[in-house]
Amino acid sequence: MITLTHFLVVSACIFSIGLYTVLSKKNAIMILVGIELMINAAILNFVAFGKYDKVSYSGQIFALFAIVLAAAAVAVGLAIVLNVYRHYNTINPDEVNQLKDK
Amino acid sequence: MSPLAAFLYQSLLGKRDQSGIVSLLAIALSFTGGGLTWFTIWNNAPVTVQADWFTIGETSFKVGILLNNLSTLMLFLVPTVALPVHVYSRAYMKGDPGIHRYWMYLSLFCFAMLGLVIMDSLLLMYVFWELVGFASYLLIGFWFTRETAIQANKKAFLVNRIGDLGFLIGLAIVFTQFKTLNLVDLFGDNGLLYQSAIVDGLWVSPVNSLPQIWFTLGGLAFFLAAMAKSAQFPLHVWLPDAMEGPTSVSSLIHAATMVAAGVFLLATVFPLFSESALLFIAIIGTITAASAAYFALGQYDIKRILAFSTISQLGFMMVGIGIGTWDAALFHLTTHAFFKCLLFLSAGAVIHEMAHLKTHSQLDFDPQDLRNMGGLRHYMPKTFVLMSIASLALAGFPLTSGFLSKDSIVISSFEWALSKGNLYLIIPLSLIIVSILTAFYIGRLLFKAFFGEFRLTNQLHGKLHDHPLHEAPKTMLMPMFVLGVFCLFPLFSFNPFSYHDSWLMDGLLSDEYAFAPSHIAHLIIPAILFLGSVIGWIIGWKWYVQHRYPFNPANPALKVSLNQGYINQFYDVVFVKGTLKLAQFCYWFDRHVVDAFVSLIQSIVLSISQLSVWIDKYIIDGFVNTVASVTYWTGHQVRLVQNGKIQTALYSVFLIVLLGLIYLLFF
Amino acid sequence: MESTLFYAFATLAIGSALLLVNLKNIARALFLFFIVLFAMAGLYLFALADFVAITQIMVYVGGVLILMLFAFMLSNKELLKDLQDNSGSFLSMPKWQAIPVVLGFLLLMFYGIFEWQQAPSTWIIQSIENGNNITATDNNIHQIGLRFMTFYVLPFEIISIFLMMALIGASHLSRKERTI
Repeated sequence: MITLTHFLVVSACIFSIGLYTVLSKKNAIMILVGIELMINAAILNFVAFGKYDKVSYSGQIFALFAIVLAAAAVAVGLAIVLNVYRHYNTINPDEVNQLKDK
Repeated sequence: MSPLAAFLYQSLLGKRDQSGIVSLLAIALSFTGGGLTWFTIWNNAPVTVQADWFTIGETSFKVGILLNNLSTLMLFLVPTVALPVHVYSRAYMKGDPGIHRYWMYLSLFCFAMLGLVIMDSLLLMYVFWELVGFASYLLIGFWFTRETAIQANKKAFLVNRIGDLGFLIGLAIVFTQFKTLNLVDLFGDNGLLYQSAIVDGLWVSPVNSLPQIWFTLGGLAFFLAAMAKSAQFPLHVWLPDAMEGPTSVSSLIHAATMVAAGVFLLATVFPLFSESALLFIAIIGTITAASAAYFALGQYDIKRILAFSTISQLGFMMVGIGIGTWDAALFHLTTHAFFKCLLFLSAGAVIHEMAHLKTHSQLDFDPQDLRNMGGLRHYMPKTFVLMSIASLALAGFPLTSGFLSKDSIVISSFEWALSKGNLYLIIPLSLIIVSILTAFYIGRLLFKAFFGEFRLTNQLHGKLHDHPLHEAPKTMLMPMFVLGVFCLFPLFSFNPFSYHDSWLMDGLLSDEYAFAPSHIAHLIIPAILFLGSVIGWIIGWKWYVQHRYPFNPANPALKVSLNQGYINQFYDVVFVKGTLKLAQFCYWFDRHVVDAFVSLIQSIVLSISQLSVWIDKYIIDGFVNTVASVTYWTGHQVRLVQNGKIQTALYSVFLIVLLGLIYLLFF
Repeated sequence: MESTLFYAFATLAIGSALLLVNLKNIARALFLFFIVLFAMAGLYLFALADFVAITQIMVYVGGVLILMLFAFMLSNKELLKDLQDNSGSFLSMPKWQAIPVVLGFLLLMFYGIFEWQQAPSTWIIQSIENGNNITATDNNIHQIGLRFMTFYVLPFEIISIFLMMALIGASHLSRKERTI
C-alpha cells in the first residue's frame, strides 16, 4: 500500500540530493540542475498532499505553477550563466570570487 | 657703657678711625666713672638695680647691676690698667694696617670685662664671660694672615669653651638647687646659700634638695670654668700660644684682666665650695704654679717667659682661694695686674725696638728671641729701670706691692697647712720653691736682655752705629711709668712689711680666717723668700752675665722645660688626633655602613622596580597581547569564510537554517 | 504490483539522482537528470496527478533539459575536452563540507515525516471521510481546467505574465553585445 509517507520519503531524498548538488558542484549548470531537483522534490510533495483535496485541486494546480516557475528560473539562470561566462570565461563558480575579502 | 659706645662707633665707622681717640676717651670715661663708683661704694652698703628681662614659665629672669666691694674694686681696677694700655697702644700699633679693627676689638673687650664684673645674675655673668672670650679670640688672631696666630686663637677659643661648659653645668646645678641665679639672692647677707646645709647626706636648700655630691660638683663646675679662663693646669695650654697677639693686648687681657676673671668668679661664688672642692682648687693651683715656673726656666721667647709667669701667679691666686683666703687672692690679683702689665709693656717696648732694627738692617731674626738681645740697658735705660721694678714686684722683693700680696698667700697657706695636718705642708713648701724659681727666671730674663753684650753685633757688622737702638717713645713710657708707681707698696698699705694692714684685704673679707695665725711664720717665711731670691739672682748673674753656665745647654731637663713638658704634643696626639680619627671613623661609617645600607635599599627598590617592569612588560602586556593576537587569529580564521564563492554562501545559509530547525524542533 | 512499480520508480529516481551527483562527466549527468525527470513523472502518476506528470514531461524534459544541454554544450570548451577525456575515475569525490548539512537536512526531514506519521493532519482524515480525495477514476484534466478558469484565474494570468517577463528578461540578458 503506498501511503503518503512513501512519497514524502522520496521527496526528502531527492531534495537532499539536490541540495548536495547545489553545494558541491564545480559547474554552474550543475548548480542549476541541483535547483531543479529541489524544485522537483517540492512538486512531488505538493502532488502527494494534493491527492486529498478534491474540492479545489490546490495541490496539483500549484504543482503546475511550480513547474512554470522552475522553467522561468532556469531560463533566467541560464541567461545569467551565459553572461558570467562571457565576462569571466569560465562557469566554475569557485573562480567567480571577485567579492572575496582580500 | 662707654666702651660699648666706642665699639659700636668704630664698628660703624670702619677704617676711618686710625688714631683710636674715641676708644681712649671711652676708657678714660670708664676710669673716672669707675673711680667715682668705687669711692662711693667701698665699705658702704651694696647697691643693686634691677629690671625684668624675660620669663620662662614661672621663673622670671632679671637683668641688673650689683655694686659691692668686690665688683667695684674690679670696676675700678680694669680701667686703671686699660687706660695706660690704650695710651701705649697708640704708639705701639702705629702704622699697622688693621688698626681700626684693633680699637674696635679693644673697646669690645673693655665693655665685656666691665659688664662681667658688675652683673648681678650668674646668667648675665655667663653672657659677658663668653663675650670676653670672644674678644680675646679676636685680639689673639689680630694678625690673622699669620698661620701661627690663627692656630693660637682657635686653640684659645676651644680651650675656653671647655671652661664655658663648666660654667653652664654650674649654672644648671645652682638653678636646680635654688631656682634662682641672682647673686644677691644666693650670696647676700641672708642668701639662700647660707640657709642651706648638708643634712643626712643631702644638700638641702629652702626650695630643693639634692644628694650631697652635687654641692661639691657645683663648686667644681665653676672651678672648671676658672681653670680654662685663668689658665690652670691642664687647661693652660692656650695662654703661651696667645702671645701671638700684639703685646699691648697681651698685657691687658692675658696678664691683668681676663685671666683674672676666673679668680673673680671664684671669689663671687666662694660660698658654693665644699671642703673637698677647696682642697682640689688648692692642689691644682700648686701644680699650676710649679709646672709653669719650671717651663718658664727653659723658654727663650720674652713673651713666653712672661706668659708662664702669668700662669704661675694665677696658680698662686688659686691656692689663695683654695685655702679660704680669697681676699688674699684678690689682693694678689690687683698687684699682679699692675706689675705684669708693666712687664709686658716693657717687653713690648724692647720688641718694638728690635723689630725696628730688623726692618732697618734687613736681617732675619726673631725680635722676641732672648738670645738675640743683650746689653740693652745701655740703649734703653728707662725701660730697663721700669722693667726691673716690675720684676722685683714679681719676685716679691720687699718694698714692693708684690711682696705684700705674695707673702699674704704663702704665709696664709703655711698657717692653713699647720691647722690641717702635716701632710698639707707640701703646699706651702711648693709655693716657697716656686717663689724662688720665679725670682730666678725673671732675673734670667733681665740678665739676658739688658746685661752683657748685644748678641747680634757680629751679624750687624757695625751697622749698629747707623741705626742705633732707641729708647722707647714717650707715649709708651708714660703709661709704663704710671704703672711702675703702682707696683710699689704705698698704694696698698702704709706698712711695707705687713699685709694685714692693707685696706684692700680689710674691705673684702671682714671675718677672721678659719685657721690660727702663726707669728713665727710671719717672720721666717719672708726671710726665706728674700734670701732665696737674692741667691737665685747671684746664680743667675754668674750664669748669664758672666757666661759661666755650668750645665749643658741641651740637657734633657731644659728640653722638657722648653717644650712645656710636651703637654701640647700630648693634647695634640690624644685630643686633636683622636677627634680627627673619630671624625674619620664617623665618615667611614657614614659612607660604608649608612650609605651602604641606603644603597642596599636603593638596589632592592631598583630590583623590585625592574621586576615589576618585567612583569608589566611580559606578563600583563603579554596577557593583553595574547588576547589581542588570539582575537586577530580567530578573526583571520573566520574571515576565510568570505572567499567570494557562491557555494560557500549557500552552504552557510543552509547550515544556519539546519541549526535553526534543530533548535526549534528539539529545544 | 502497484507498490512494486512505485518502488521501482522511486529507486530509479533516487538512484539516478545519486549517480547524477557523483559523475564527473557533466553531459552524462545531464542525461541522468533526464531519467530522473521521467521517473518523477512516473511518481506523479502514482499520486493520481496525470496532468502534472504530462506537463512535467513536456515542460521539464522537453524544455528545461534541452535548454540546459544547449547551454552546457555552448559554454566550456575545456569541459567538452573533458567529455572526450574519460580519464581516471568515474565518480567524483563527495565534498566533505556539504555532506553533514545534507545529511542533517535529510535526517531532519525523516524525523518530521516520522513524527507526522504518528498523528496525521485532521484535514486529510476529514477529507478521506468526506470522500474528498482524488480517486483513480476522476477526470483530473476537466477539473483542473475548471479550477483554472474560475478559482485560480488570477494566479493563472499573473503567472503567464510572469513567464513572459522572465523570458523577455532572459533573452535580453543574453543579447549579443555590440562590439565596436
